[in-house]
Amino acid sequence: MNRSFFAKNPSILWFIALLGLFTLGVTLLSEATGTGLISTSFVKTLGKTLCLCLVAIAMDVVWGYCGILSLGHFAFFGIGGYAIGMWLMYARTEVIVSASMANQVIPPSATEVSDAIASQIFGVVGASELPTIWSFAHSLPLQLLMVVLIPGLLALVFGWLAFRSRVTGVYLSILTQAMTLALSLYLFQNDSGLRGNNGLSGLQNIPGFESTPQSLVSMAFFWASALALAIGYILFAFVISGKMGSVIRAIRDNETRVRFLGYHVESYKLFVFTLTAIVAGIAGALYYPQAGIINPAEIAPIASIYLAVWVAIGGRGRLYGAVLGTVAVTLASSWFTGGGAPDINLGFYTIKWTDWWLVLLGLSFVAVTLFAPQGIGGLVDKLVRKKA
Amino acid sequence: MSKTLLELSGVSVSFDGFKAINNLSFQIGEPELRAIIGPNGAGKTTFMDIITGKTKPDDGHILWGDKGISLLGLSESAIAREGIGRKFQKPTVFEAQTVRENLAMALKNPRGPFDVLFYKKTSDGAARIEAIAEQTGLTDSLTRPAGELSHGQKQWLEIGMLLAQEPRLLLVDEPAAGMTPAEREKTTQMLVEAAKTRAVVVVEHDMEFVRRLNCKVTVLNEGSVLAEGSIDHVTSDPQVIEVYLGR
Ligand SMILES: Nc1ncnc2c1ncn2[C@@H]1O[C@H](COP(=O)(O)OP(=O)(O)OP(=O)(O)O)[C@@H](O)[C@H]1O
Ligand SMILES: [Mg+2]
Repeated sequence: MNRSFFAKNPSILWFIALLGLFTLGVTLLSEATGTGLISTSFVKTLGKTLCLCLVAIAMDVVWGYCGILSLGHFAFFGIGGYAIGMWLMYARTEVIVSASMANQVIPPSATEVSDAIASQIFGVVGASELPTIWSFAHSLPLQLLMVVLIPGLLALVFGWLAFRSRVTGVYLSILTQAMTLALSLYLFQNDSGLRGNNGLSGLQNIPGFESTPQSLVSMAFFWASALALAIGYILFAFVISGKMGSVIRAIRDNETRVRFLGYHVESYKLFVFTLTAIVAGIAGALYYPQAGIINPAEIAPIASIYLAVWVAIGGRGRLYGAVLGTVAVTLASSWFTGGGAPDINLGFYTIKWTDWWLVLLGLSFVAVTLFAPQGIGGLVDKLVRKKA
Repeated sequence: MSKTLLELSGVSVSFDGFKAINNLSFQIGEPELRAIIGPNGAGKTTFMDIITGKTKPDDGHILWGDKGISLLGLSESAIAREGIGRKFQKPTVFEAQTVRENLAMALKNPRGPFDVLFYKKTSDGAARIEAIAEQTGLTDSLTRPAGELSHGQKQWLEIGMLLAQEPRLLLVDEPAAGMTPAEREKTTQMLVEAAKTRAVVVVEHDMEFVRRLNCKVTVLNEGSVLAEGSIDHVTSDPQVIEVYLGR
């Protein structure tokens, strides 16, 4: 990456500039560092939206550019969330347990502490031992490594098996969805070692920062999310530009032909699938501390389908399109389902948006597919071209 | 006679019991220009599918290159990297990308994902692209999306992409289909030129076109070689007249 890379892709600089302005604006209006016009909970909503934008651009690269309609990228997102959640929960419980044991006459042994942590965390599922998968939960660096390693390895193995057998198109989508479903069903089990349908909670409390107000914690995560989105955007813009982008798009349009040019198509798909899975995991690791809780329902196949809907509405094959689609749909969603939109009384029937939002979303998806297949991004492109 | 570059011996393949290629043997040297003719369904495209690894034969051997390695265990992409380029019956270029991008992708360079990710454009490569565009008459179209090209230009772009791969063997399936006489003339020149330094196999129905290639002709019928020799030799063969010309 050098100066000519940005010179050739001025839209990246535009995106970074807008993101920077937005971050600055939110900072100046927040409770912790500004006028307080924006509530802490809304800062969290915005921060979470940035994380969703990050996983959406990953989805756009794998689907919009490489033509792999993965219905599993939200699973990678969730895995990232679980990985960081394990440390958050463990470390925080450790603080609490140590505090309560501190007044004991005989100082507690290490095993006593660890047993107490285990029964504290796993009491809800009737267990009192720390499962093996929690072996690294005490260490932040190790769990951070898991955030990238687990989604990355899972994507690598799954992708290797699927691409090697030349599974493509709708069959591949079904396979990724099956993977997602299997993962979520597994996590729903009480003996999965991840607290079954209780999931991991209290993730908004960051160990070591107990006395820091949530308004400030939320700001820190908001910045981190913005930074991650900026870095992710530049990374993906680099991947899809130049010759790599050329090959990736060629694979989307006619992978057989690409093979006869001498490119090992499966390696390219595997590269894109794994890289985007890792970014999805990172996005999830930033999202769930802001959400405060993660449970298996988050990983359900429907979440990955939503991801595809955002990208489709925003316009496949353009990174900013994925961002636009995500922002538009998630903000509209929270407006409609959060009681922001007034109910419509038809006399004989009242349209309650909490019930009807999904119908509206479905209809918009159909409308976009039929009338604006290039999505919102495509409309923007048209406007820009007209002006120029 | 030039030394053998590719040799097929006793190759057979059947689809659901139907023998598309039947005990076929074939040799081509380097450099050499060869035309393959034969009625519809003779197995000409399947022959190319077998060489390029798209279809695995049930029987037979395919030996390649100076060391005589077998192509049978190699994947399509590995065979392409060995130096076998292929033009399809239906022109297949990447329509959403520019002519230059199409050529750049085909240009002979390392093919691994990381080689490509960190690939830096070289003035050498740019010059190669210019030269190929010149050869194929696409100089003015380099920045246009390939989808905007005329049918004939797409065929040329595909030939250009083949040249950019710098293959030792070029397999060209019906390059002149749907072309105007002037375009055919130009295509002939390109292929004859290309065959000066490498092996080129051209599948074509059009006798006039084959005649102008002025090279050895192999006649395929029902999956095996019916006759081989100069165009005058094969066109006077009674069997060839029977199955092909006498229709
Ligand atoms: N994948 C396949 N499955 C089943 N049958 C096939 C397959 N590929 C080719 N065939 C059959 O094999 C025979 C040879 O086909 P091929 O395409 O090689 O003929 P061709 O000589 O290229 O004909 P044309 O001049 O029409 O292009 C045909 O009868 C065809 O129907
Ligand atoms: Mg054919």
